[in-house]
Amino acid sequence: MLRTALSWVMLVLAVTSWDGCSQGPVTVRRVTLNQTISADDVAFIVPGRTDLSAVVERLGTPNEMLASKEGVVTRYYFADGKYFKANYAWGLRFLMPFFTPDVDLGGGGIGRDVLQVTYDDHWFVRDHAFSFHANSSEFVVWPFKD
Amino acid sequence: MRRSRCVLSLVLIGMLYQGCAFIRGNYGEELGQGDITTIQKGISTRADVAAVLGAPDRIVEANGREIFHYYHYDIKSGSILVFSRTNIKSDDTFVIFDGTGIVEEVVAGKRKGPLEFQFWPFDWPFR
Repeated sequence: MLRTALSWVMLVLAVTSWDGCSQGPVTVRRVTLNQTISADDVAFIVPGRTDLSAVVERLGTPNEMLASKEGVVTRYYFADGKYFKANYAWGLRFLMPFFTPDVDLGGGGIGRDVLQVTYDDHWFVRDHAFSFHANSSEFVVWPFKD
Repeated sequence: MRRSRCVLSLVLIGMLYQGCAFIRGNYGEELGQGDITTIQKGISTRADVAAVLGAPDRIVEANGREIFHYYHYDIKSGSILVFSRTNIKSDDTFVIFDGTGIVEEVVAGKRKGPLEFQFWPFDWPFR
């Protein structure tokens, strides 16, 4: 009797620990686009002195080059996405193997941050600015907060 | 009896065991540094660039200049148990032409940091 119970415990432990990548009781995912560019990373930029080559050498190529009235605008994108999901009925599959309802709760968010650098006609930096949306990226455990 | 139970257990584990995954992908062709160095500022024309790098993915007009934009994205994704992390990195190339169609500037360079396979989704320890 004890041996049987131990066998089942071992089996359940094996199954729960080997459950795999995405269909387990909990899912935690993260997606990042490019490395974050911080204010320290762009401290070397001096408007009117630093040119396009110097910026590319330090920060790499931008994701986009656009026309504007005052020159050319380059944009660097970097994003961070977080997602969490828990299936609170996952354990029922051991009690009701033929019909196991899913009760998935969770959520996440993704924020795309941008560094924008504007150049004049001679490819010298005119100005630069950040757009931060990092606060929209978070693991949401309980989706009914508000 | 014991043997059939053992087989049944193995089958059950096998059905629920889904393994883990490491996936690599890319979008667009990675341009070789050798190809880019053949483009000469002040000499190469639109046709020369197209012959070396191919047709651009996008053409932008800005301040009387024409810009050829070549995309390249590299993706690495890792999943272990319930954790999954996907890292995407862009390495685009821009070739800027002056009003006469001659190469004025070639913008190509690696974004900082190598792209890594990761599965741990948190910034250490948990964030």
